[in-house]
Amino acid sequence: MRIDFHTHPVLIQEMVDKYPNYARMARNVFQIGNNFQPLETFHLQMDVAGIDRAVLLPIDCERARGDAVSSNEQVADLCSISNRFIGFASVDPLKEGAAKELEQAVKKMGLKGLKLDPALQDFELRDSKVYDLYEAAAGLNIPVLVHTGMSWAPSTLIERGHPMLLEEAIARFQKLNFVLAHWGWPWVWEATALALKYPNVYLDTSCLYYDSPREFFQFVFSKQIPTTLLERSLRNRMLFGSNYPRVEIKNMVYALGTLELTEGCLKKVFEENPGRLLGLK
Amino acid sequence: MIIKLEKIRVQTRKAEEAIDITPQVDEVVSKTGVKQGLVNVMTCHTSSGLLVTEGIPCLEEDILTHFSRLFPEDENYHHHRYLDYDGRLGFNAETHLKSILGGISCSFPIEDGKIVRGSRQTIYFMEYDGPLLRTYMVQVLGE
Repeated sequence: MRIDFHTHPVLIQEMVDKYPNYARMARNVFQIGNNFQPLETFHLQMDVAGIDRAVLLPIDCERARGDAVSSNEQVADLCSISNRFIGFASVDPLKEGAAKELEQAVKKMGLKGLKLDPALQDFELRDSKVYDLYEAAAGLNIPVLVHTGMSWAPSTLIERGHPMLLEEAIARFQKLNFVLAHWGWPWVWEATALALKYPNVYLDTSCLYYDSPREFFQFVFSKQIPTTLLERSLRNRMLFGSNYPRVEIKNMVYALGTLELTEGCLKKVFEENPGRLLGLK
Repeated sequence: MIIKLEKIRVQTRKAEEAIDITPQVDEVVSKTGVKQGLVNVMTCHTSSGLLVTEGIPCLEEDILTHFSRLFPEDENYHHHRYLDYDGRLGFNAETHLKSILGGISCSFPIEDGKIVRGSRQTIYFMEYDGPLLRTYMVQVLGE
């Protein structure tokens, strides 16, 4: 089963019709301009890319931006409609009762992980309240996916997502698996170093900020970071992530395929690593 | 003078495909009741197209294959950059170029309430960047 570990359900027409703020948040906060599409298109995009299941990531940025960019409720709603989706929860670490809210999202809504975005949610990764949330996630035995590196969203600071801001938490919560989204770009070596040192660090490939996906991957994962490093040292820590709909899934699958990675390594990236992290049989 | 405009949606299912929309265009013309006039068909998108050719699968495949040969995905396109108005990168230059080359519209005369076209002419909606829910327009003018 091939999994896309990084998608945002922000352009689904059925959700526009059902949730009043959905479209506004997609346009004004997430800043995406593409047309809304029926849920069927999401599934077809997965089909043409050869992806079986997709992780849906919400962002609870109500305090910072007025509402969520996809809420836990919306994600749970979509997961109830399609068994091809795996929903994550997002809670605001600075909100009173954040840990309890996460527990409810996991136990009552069936969500399988925690998504945090320090830029859009406007918090410091080293804030002690975030550590309370890590404690809760560890207790629930779920992974935490953190937006690291570049953020396109206006009124956000890129530096909020520096991967090294996570090192202390990674070292402290050794039983909690951290996914550093977007490979921490532009701090790709810092993200790589964390994955090399700490066994509880994973990196997702949803990394594209200029040129085409193939050109970007060829530079970052070949010239900047040697492909041999991925193959030899990180094959058990890489996750395929597309960042759909900021990029079509098929383009990211194609780009990854142009790297000189073995079939065995790609199987880990698409299937085994995400499966293990999500506890899928 | 009657002028009718209809917008028709089509869910494409592949990254690239040629979809025969001739029956849908015929139906729009028939519904308007126009006996003498003109019908114009146009896609609403810049990475899809509208073209007319013989309606056989081998040609459908040839068109897509040779458009891809003319405009390969991996060429050095200026469009491969971040587009702030879209909140994403534009790395689909080749799909726009295919749309330009193949065209985005076609017109046919209407006589006795029916489209006049050659026996082998088929109207295709061309998807170059799917799968997506797409829209094309059919406008009928006449009396």
